[in-house]
Amino acid sequence: MMILKDNIQMKHILLAGAFLLCLLTACKKDDDLGDIDNIPGLGGDTWTPGPIDNWIKDSLTVPYNIAVKYKWDQGELELNRTLVPPKEEKIIPVLSSIKKVWINNYVAEAGEIFMKRLCPKFFVLVGSASYNPDGTITLGTAEGGRRIVLYVLNDFRIKSMSDYTPSDSNNVKMMFHTIEHEFGHILHQNVLYTPDFKRISVGRYTSNWNNVSDETAHQDGFISAYAMSAPDEDFVEMISIMLTEGKAGFDNLVNSITGTSPNGTTAEVAKDKLRQKETIVVNYFSDTWHINFYNLQARTRASIVALIK
Amino acid sequence: MRSRLAYCLLLILSSFAACRKDDKSVFDLSPDERINQALSQYQAALTAAPNGWEARITTGTGSIFNFHFKFNDANRVVTYADIDTTSSGTPRESSYRLKALQQPALIFDTYTYLHMLADPDGTVNGGDDGTGLQSDFEFAIDTVTADSIKLTGRYNKTKVTLYKATPAQEAAWQNGGWRKALNFQYLGRILQYFKRLSWGTNAYDITFNNQQHTITFAWVDNSGNPHRVTVRFYYTSQGLVMVTPFTDGAVTITSLNSGSWNAGSNTLQVQVNGVTQGSIAGAVRPARVDLQAPRRWWQFAAQQDSYWASNNGFHVNGVDDAFHIRSIDNFAFLILWPAYGRQSGIIYDLLGYIIVKPDALSLDFGSAYIPPTFTTDGRIIFREFGTLGDVPAAATAAFENTNTQMIEARGYYLVQTGATTYDMVSAKDALAWISWEY
Repeated sequence: MMILKDNIQMKHILLAGAFLLCLLTACKKDDDLGDIDNIPGLGGDTWTPGPIDNWIKDSLTVPYNIAVKYKWDQGELELNRTLVPPKEEKIIPVLSSIKKVWINNYVAEAGEIFMKRLCPKFFVLVGSASYNPDGTITLGTAEGGRRIVLYVLNDFRIKSMSDYTPSDSNNVKMMFHTIEHEFGHILHQNVLYTPDFKRISVGRYTSNWNNVSDETAHQDGFISAYAMSAPDEDFVEMISIMLTEGKAGFDNLVNSITGTSPNGTTAEVAKDKLRQKETIVVNYFSDTWHINFYNLQARTRASIVALIK
Repeated sequence: MRSRLAYCLLLILSSFAACRKDDKSVFDLSPDERINQALSQYQAALTAAPNGWEARITTGTGSIFNFHFKFNDANRVVTYADIDTTSSGTPRESSYRLKALQQPALIFDTYTYLHMLADPDGTVNGGDDGTGLQSDFEFAIDTVTADSIKLTGRYNKTKVTLYKATPAQEAAWQNGGWRKALNFQYLGRILQYFKRLSWGTNAYDITFNNQQHTITFAWVDNSGNPHRVTVRFYYTSQGLVMVTPFTDGAVTITSLNSGSWNAGSNTLQVQVNGVTQGSIAGAVRPARVDLQAPRRWWQFAAQQDSYWASNNGFHVNGVDDAFHIRSIDNFAFLILWPAYGRQSGIIYDLLGYIIVKPDALSLDFGSAYIPPTFTTDGRIIFREFGTLGDVPAAATAAFENTNTQMIEARGYYLVQTGATTYDMVSAKDALAWISWEY
């Protein structure tokens, strides 16, 4: 019985082998690839360049290899969110502000090469905010040190615009907060900060950060509520808020902390924690990237003030 | 034996198949080339309308909007829309493109009036934050004929048909015809609670919602019963047309044509059903007073030993929460509790401030009023009795201003807006009111 079974199996294998051979020979065909210089594609990704396209090309793409997608492309964005594209009249003001506040200042302090190497290469612009199911809104996201999505462009107004009101300065600051925040991620994803940073507020990081007010976060030694979400976020929130608020703004924030937090952190301890974090950030910039953080901070703040005051 | 035969058959079959070297496609061109061909046909169709295209969009929330698009062959489109007085009179240029997504799609890829409907910011279009009016700006192209293009929104599935516009249709946008139709938007400048539509011997109090495209008619019938009907409308270049006509007995309104707006008297001239001259203007009292409403309102809560609540306090002169009661620390809502308690032989009403405490809501302080007067012409008048509890120093201004408004000598009309909702409107000038809900 056993022998018979083996025989049958053998035959199966032989037959399968024969089929395989047939299939292989069937594939052998002289396939001409055709004209590979002229593959049609699906179309719709090119258009007649307008003034905005030319501005982006001259100011960002040629010098820094940065591409900006301002026209609607659902494929770049979350598929479950209601979003709208930006208004055309907002695009150049936003991008030139970004260039003034972020690129030019880093170039001045760290050099062209630094910026060309590390800057995110792809910006996606969205007109509205991205509304999250928990009631918060997303103002910006970054992925892999390459792609930054900026939201709420349609509410961007700077003082040179006729309909500017002082309350708009908040939107402007939030936008640079987002960019400096995401660029901070790129920096630490290239070279990580010292692990000492994570020990300063160990045990206080929480996913419940969105139910904490900024004031309470300050009392716990965090620069913002979002900084409580994770050490990495804490680190880049330090960078972005110190840059956008300037040294005076940061000192003011630290010195105005009073009272004891619900977690029992006293004002003295909270101030000390923020100062420790500040020191680590400043040292990280000088040791790792050879950037004088305070100079960068002064420049960045001055450029923001020029836009809003 | 049978299986061996089957194998042999398969072997023969596969060797035949293997021999077929002819892989000619059923079509002449590759899928990519055919897609590009379709797109360029659609492109040609879009730009082939010398007077542009008319489109009517019904958003996911049910509001109807009209658009006028004119496409050129450099990815630019000029748009008019009947959203507001700007969009209906000032053309806006933005960009568009045709792209092969899952289907050939027409994408309005930078912001124009069309995106205002889809904008997730509720302040832009009156929709909910996060979804807006549930509209689209990225459309799959369903069918293209000589004078129409059918589109389906890719996100919210909005159905849109573009019709080739006639020169007259285009002129209605360019010459301000549509702009004039949108004069209805100015009704928002009438600060009185009552906005009266009157023509001939007829008069109705209306509430006009330009963002949602609805009109609410309120009236009291001959037996004294209050009625309220909300109808949806859409604009035309003449004015507005009711989706379902408004009817009250012999009175039927199918359309209101828009006339001139008088900015001095805040009055809009209209033609009812296209013929009868009428007007919409602010009024200090209802077209017909619901005489029993104050007593009905007061007793409804009194009988159940309960209260009416208001989230925002008084609206005065066009300002919501004019006395900033929402700024009181931990404020929850305001209540009016009829026959709340008895002191010195007087059963008083209480206007109480509800405050959020760590584990409960608490009624900490309030203004007390002696039993209200119900006048024969349908007003209720409150008179001060005293202050209950201790008013926090920071809340004093809000408290005093609200109290002063409450004891307004002319009193209030009550307008029933739902089964258990009333608006209490100052009888002095109809510029102040408060909304109560049970």
